[in-house]
Formats: sequence, C-alpha cells, structure tokens
Amino acid sequence: MAEMWLTMGPQHPFSHGLWTLKVLADGEIVKDAVPVIGYLHRGWEKECENRPYPLIIPMADRLCYSASMTWSHVYCKVVEEALEIELTDRTKYLRVVADEICRIQSHLMWLAAMGTDLGNLTVFLWALREREFFLDLNVKLCGQRLTTNYPRIGGVRNDMPYYFERDCLRVVKRFEKAIWNIIAMMDESAIVVSRLKGVGVISRKDAANYGLTGPTMRGCGVDFDVRRDDPYCNYDQLDWEVAVCKEGDAYGRYRVRIEEMLQSCEIIKQAMEKLDKLPKTDPTRVKVPKNVPAGTHFARLEDPRGESLMYLISDGSDRPYRLKVRSPIFVNVSASKHLVDGVRIADIPAIMGTIDMCLGETDR
Amino acid sequence: MTIKYLDKFPRSNARTLWVLKPMWVTLKNMFKTTLHRPVTIMYPYEKEWVPDNYRGRPGLIFEKCLGCGICKRMCPTTCISMIEVDGDDGKKVDRPQVNLGRCMMCGYCAEYCPVNAMIVTPDYELAAYTREELIYGPRKLAWPKHTEMMQVHLKEHLLSDLKNGVTDKPTAFYSIDRPELNDAKCIGCSRCVKVCPTGVIEMYTKGENAAGKPIKRPKFDLAKCVCCQNCVDECPKDALVIKEVL
Repeated sequence: MAEMWLTMGPQHPFSHGLWTLKVLADGEIVKDAVPVIGYLHRGWEKECENRPYPLIIPMADRLCYSASMTWSHVYCKVVEEALEIELTDRTKYLRVVADEICRIQSHLMWLAAMGTDLGNLTVFLWALREREFFLDLNVKLCGQRLTTNYPRIGGVRNDMPYYFERDCLRVVKRFEKAIWNIIAMMDESAIVVSRLKGVGVISRKDAANYGLTGPTMRGCGVDFDVRRDDPYCNYDQLDWEVAVCKEGDAYGRYRVRIEEMLQSCEIIKQAMEKLDKLPKTDPTRVKVPKNVPAGTHFARLEDPRGESLMYLISDGSDRPYRLKVRSPIFVNVSASKHLVDGVRIADIPAIMGTIDMCLGETDR
Repeated sequence: MTIKYLDKFPRSNARTLWVLKPMWVTLKNMFKTTLHRPVTIMYPYEKEWVPDNYRGRPGLIFEKCLGCGICKRMCPTTCISMIEVDGDDGKKVDRPQVNLGRCMMCGYCAEYCPVNAMIVTPDYELAAYTREELIYGPRKLAWPKHTEMMQVHLKEHLLSDLKNGVTDKPTAFYSIDRPELNDAKCIGCSRCVKVCPTGVIEMYTKGENAAGKPIKRPKFDLAKCVCCQNCVDECPKDALVIKEVL
C-alpha cells in the first residue's frame, strides 16, 4: 500500500484553532505525524517589552480566551514575586474563586468541542449551556465574560459585589446536578466510550520525557498538581483531591477533566466559606511601585490545560526586559506524534480533542 | 474529600452498553425545556440583562473631567487621545476622545480616573458602517443614565499601613503620589505651569542670580494635584520626578 502525507488543518474542524497536523497515512493507519504551529504568532513576548507592567495584564488575558483568568494571574504572580509582595488572605481566596470558575468554564468549552469531535451534538449544546452560567459569574465579578482583566499586581481589580456569593453558590449547586446529565450522555453511551477507550495511549515514562503537564499528564497516572505540590494562594488550606487516572488513554484524560470540574466546585464552595469568615473590609489590593527591581524571577500555576509558567527578567525600569511564557499546550502538542502513532485516521480527532488545544498561548 | 466521579465510572461493559440511559436523559430534558420556556431570547427586540458594572465601551461624564490625561497614559492600546473642545462655559478644554475600533474594553480608563469622570457603560452594540463613526468624541462618549455602579473606584492599600495593622484606609496613587522638584536641575522655564490640567503649579521668584535676573521656581499646591505626570514628561531638564508613597 502506498503511503501518503495528509495535511489536517489549519482549517480542518478537528484542529481547534489554527494549526496543522501532517499525517503520514498508510491506508487507514497513521505511520507518522508532524505538528505544524505558528499560524497565530503575534509577537506577544516582544510586545510586552515595550509597555509598563500594569498594561500587560489585559494582554495576558488574550493569551487564551478560555483561560484568561489564570494567564493574567500567573503574570501578576511573577511581578509580585519580583516585588516581594505578600497578598492579603481575602485577595488570595478571591483569586482562587476566580481561577476555579475559569477552570470549570474552560473544561466545559473543551467538553463541548469534544462532543462535536465525536459527533455528539447534544453534549456540545448542553455543555455550552452550563458554561453560560459561569460566564455570567465572570460578568458579575469583574464586568466581562471572557477577557476578564481581573487580577492586578498586588491584588484584584475589585472586591466581589454583595450578591456574588449567593449567585456563585447557586450556580455551583446547579452545575453539580447538571454535569451528571452530560456524563450520562458521554459515559453511558457505547459509541463515545468505545471511540475513546484504548486510543492515544501514553505511558508515565513517555509523559515525563515529553514534559507533559496538566490533565494530559494526570490521565496517565502521574500524581502531580501544582495547586497541591507547590501551593499558592492558600490552596493548601482547602480540602480537595487531585484527580488521577491510570489508563493513559483518551478516555482517561476525559475522566480526569470531568473529575477536576467536580473538585473545582468543591474548592469554590470552601473558598466562599473562608471568604465569609474574613472581615468584609479586608484590603483586596495593595499599592505597588512602578519600577520593578532588577533580577530574574519565575512563577508557575496550574492552568486548566497544564502548568503555565512565566519567566521575567527585569532591569529596574517600569518595563520588563524579557517576559518568557511557558505554555502547557506548546509542550503537550509535541507529543502528538507519539499519541497518534499507529491509530486510524478517524481516531485522530478523538485523541487530539483530549489534549484541549489552544493556539493563542501556543504561538503567542 | 472524596473522588466523586472517578469511583463511579467506568462501569462494567454490560452497563456501558445500556444505551437507553442517554435516551432517557434526553427525553427528560426535552420535557423540561418544553415546560420551562423560553430558553432563548429574541435578540434584537429583547436584550440580555447585564449588570451595571458591565465593561462595555468607556463613557465620559463631561462636567467632571479634568482633562488630566491619565486615561490616555494608562490605555494599553493607545486608543485615547486628548482633543480640544468647547467646554460648557465656552472656553476651550482638553477632553478624551476614544477610538473604539481599537478599544479592548479593559476598563483601565475608568479604573485609574482620579475624579471618576470616565465610567464603564453597558453599551456593547458598537457596530458602525465606517471607521470614522467609531471614533467617539467627548460629547458622544456621554452615557446619560450613568449610575454609581458604573464608576470603578481604585482602592489601594499601602504596604506600610498593612504592616501596622491599618486596613480601613483605602487610597490611590492620585491621592498620595506627588511630583518633587530637584532644585539644582530646574531652569525656571515654567513649562510645567502650562501643561498642568488642575492649575496647581505657580511660579514664584526665589531670588536673583549673578546677572540680576529673577530666579523662578514652581510651587505645587499638593492638595489639589492628581499625579497626572504631565509636568514630569514636559520638563526639559528632568528636574521633576514622581515621589511614590508605599
């Protein structure tokens, strides 16, 4: 049988965003694959060198539209580390709530896209319907649905409005019921499960060698979460479990993400309780100097897609000398050759769907 | 805390092949959505409710504005420019003009405005036929039904205050940061007086130099200053710096 190079993307419906997967197909079987990225490169890191520190926060939102809260959080975190500022408790819990809302809505966006990849349009509609409630929470908290622009260097933009706690707990309570409907559509449907099970297998060792992070890594049995093992923002004072699955296939990654959503609900509820006990007048933002002292710093945190990291070199002025972004998907997509090796072409959307591609942060 | 979902799934293959469960869930949802109608809205005629703090396009309360240009300085996309317009009393005043084709709706102009003249408005329907229509002048930026919620208040706490246990004194950079004069560098050109939007700078005669000419120095009325940094930028000899209070 003659081998043939197929170009999937950049306009192929399986590639969520602009990227290409070149596939060497022998009939139906995939022999080789080369991911091609860079269609969305917009010089993000270079542009940061030309503007003062506070003005980079709205840009950090635009690294990934569904993880805007965590990206601006990691940027603020690295500058806070350079300035050696300790945040107040209220700020930390507000950031936890905002991050977990972001995680749930990002995973729901992934679930919706996953549904369309597998031809399950009901899941697409239902997951997006649930996501709307979390986007409404974003509007109430900080005024915008996606480009939240909420964390600030040394705090958050505003304290939560008086009705936010009530609405947040209502949405979480509703979601914890509604997610089981979506699970019923996915897990109890023989078609979906048989398409996900046993494809795109990656072992613990390979995951370590490729440097995978996030649900992709936890899906193959590595028990590591930055929130628990390198705690920031008082995550260590909350009681929750890291979702780990041993299989390492596409179904395992799917299960880790579903469990993470439920754990995030738990974190939101506990953080709200802690916020309730703190006095309402607690400061949410501290005043920071314009200039950052010279030095190199990095900060990392758990993004919905993996471990996001920013590396800052400051030269003592009010602009960064260099700001390097370590995007989780940029690393995870490098494993795509290993993941799709030997599977059939029809399985590629199911496998790459569980990676949860986001090209804004990959190409920067 | 327990693992909520991972313990329950996957079930045995016999359960997984039970295809009637998704059908039953879909049917239940069909009845639910039929009873609790409508789920969608008729968009151009009805509109989604948005809270007052929704960050749509920026708005301007014309009579409150000082024309200090902090919004212009803080704008990440530089879509704000200060233009000269007729004020309410007939005099020429500087007011911000926003190019909404570039605006990224970050709300920084409203957040950093010292007098809360810039506000966020819940106006999100901004389509226009030409690009010129998207350039909103100071009068067009007005939002007549503005409420208290649309003003974004900057509440920063000083680190030195927090160390001493004072948590109820919110402040902002425009209340405490002030320009400081380096007397040796100043040449008394009085350019800072011309650019000051609040008119807090006055020149006074300090003495006479060797040639018998008067030595002029600026004097700041620090109570009214809003820390707009226009004088710092304008100074030809870098004699002025902002002194930050932390």
